[in-house]
Amino acid sequence: MRMILRETAPLHSLDNDQRIQAQRLLENLERQVASLKQEMLK
Amino acid sequence: MRCGMGIEARQVNELFINIDPIQAGGKLTADAMKAVIAYGDGYSACDNCRKPNRLDYISKPPIAGFHRDVAAWLNMDTVRVIPGARRGFQAVAHTYVGKGDPVLLTSLSHYTEFLAIEEAGGIAREIPHDPSHTITADATAAKIEEIQREFGRAPVLAFIDHVDYQYGNMHDAKAIAKVARQYDIPVLYNGAYTVGILPVDGRDLGVDFVIGSGHKSMAAPAPSGVLAATNERAAEVFRTTAIEGDITKRRFGIKEPEMMGCTLMGATLVGMMASFPSVKERVKHFDRELEHNNLVLKALLSVSGTKILSEFPRHHTLTRVDTIGSFDTVAESHKKRGFYFSGALEEKGIFGVIPGATKVWKFNTYGLTAQQAAFLAETFVTIATENGLAVTQ
Repeated sequence: MRMILRETAPLHSLDNDQRIQAQRLLENLERQVASLKQEMLK
Repeated sequence: MRCGMGIEARQVNELFINIDPIQAGGKLTADAMKAVIAYGDGYSACDNCRKPNRLDYISKPPIAGFHRDVAAWLNMDTVRVIPGARRGFQAVAHTYVGKGDPVLLTSLSHYTEFLAIEEAGGIAREIPHDPSHTITADATAAKIEEIQREFGRAPVLAFIDHVDYQYGNMHDAKAIAKVARQYDIPVLYNGAYTVGILPVDGRDLGVDFVIGSGHKSMAAPAPSGVLAATNERAAEVFRTTAIEGDITKRRFGIKEPEMMGCTLMGATLVGMMASFPSVKERVKHFDRELEHNNLVLKALLSVSGTKILSEFPRHHTLTRVDTIGSFDTVAESHKKRGFYFSGALEEKGIFGVIPGATKVWKFNTYGLTAQQAAFLAETFVTIATENGLAVTQ
């Protein structure tokens, strides 16, 4: 995500490929956060 | 986000197009960012250090392989990692320069080369640049002859900056090295602005040492860098310790005095290693970087009164410009004086021009995407137009 922000600075207008990549990264992040919640807060 | 008491998280490269002349080639890759987090602990590169207990022998993470790969990439024999190019200058100068020895460098050399000579007790002698701020082989030969007349001997070492920090001009390092070698002078190639930016072949250049800066040009954290040598010179600069304690009789194995033993033991080294595959790839596409630079220069030159002080057409993306006849004329009457220019750039998302500078300044477009280069070009023209400067189409 940080690299996408860097590559698109300063306007951060994402093209289609970047949107898809950001979507994938955020979904992956959500899965990791869910996994951490399950493991650490059980 | 804060990193601690009073330490704001730095977001310059996420929020702005950064054209700071010395920061462009050192922006981390995504893998290097991960490495910095994973290897941030002190001595974290040393988990699997085994006999003979030296950094360049560690195979996990693959530090030994990295040393071999960098040597092959630069077409040199041996490499050590160092805490910045300046520490490489220091190690080489300390090996070859004695008190009162003349040392050759240039009128565009970086100050740390002078300091390395000074620390070793040497005497700096500069090759003058020509009117276009270029160091030539002829000027090198003339300077060596002059030194011989002054000292009765040739310089003991020559520093050659392939691309200088002042103008970003590319000097004929190969021809200069050839001249120096005719006088048996060891040649140190300063690749702070080339190693990791464009292809560098030490053997083809005919130099004894190639020095690169990790944080300036290899997408690595500071301080980091590489010192590469031919086998002949490696035996001299990377000689191993021979000292022994008189009481304990301790000796220190194969540690190298000029390296002060091991050098980079954590995030700096592993960050540089993590970026290396991307760095090896990016040097093959330097022509694209020059295209982006030319696009920006074309826009700047469209602002009447602007001059390019670096060689033109450009061979490097670090560029020095003179805007005394353009942006500086606005500063004379602007309520913010010279700060209007950097302020306007920052408002539009551009960072890296020294605040207040409107006369002579430097910038570096290395690493910008095509869209960012176009945006930067357009921004310079917009600021000119907004301030009533003449712009030609």
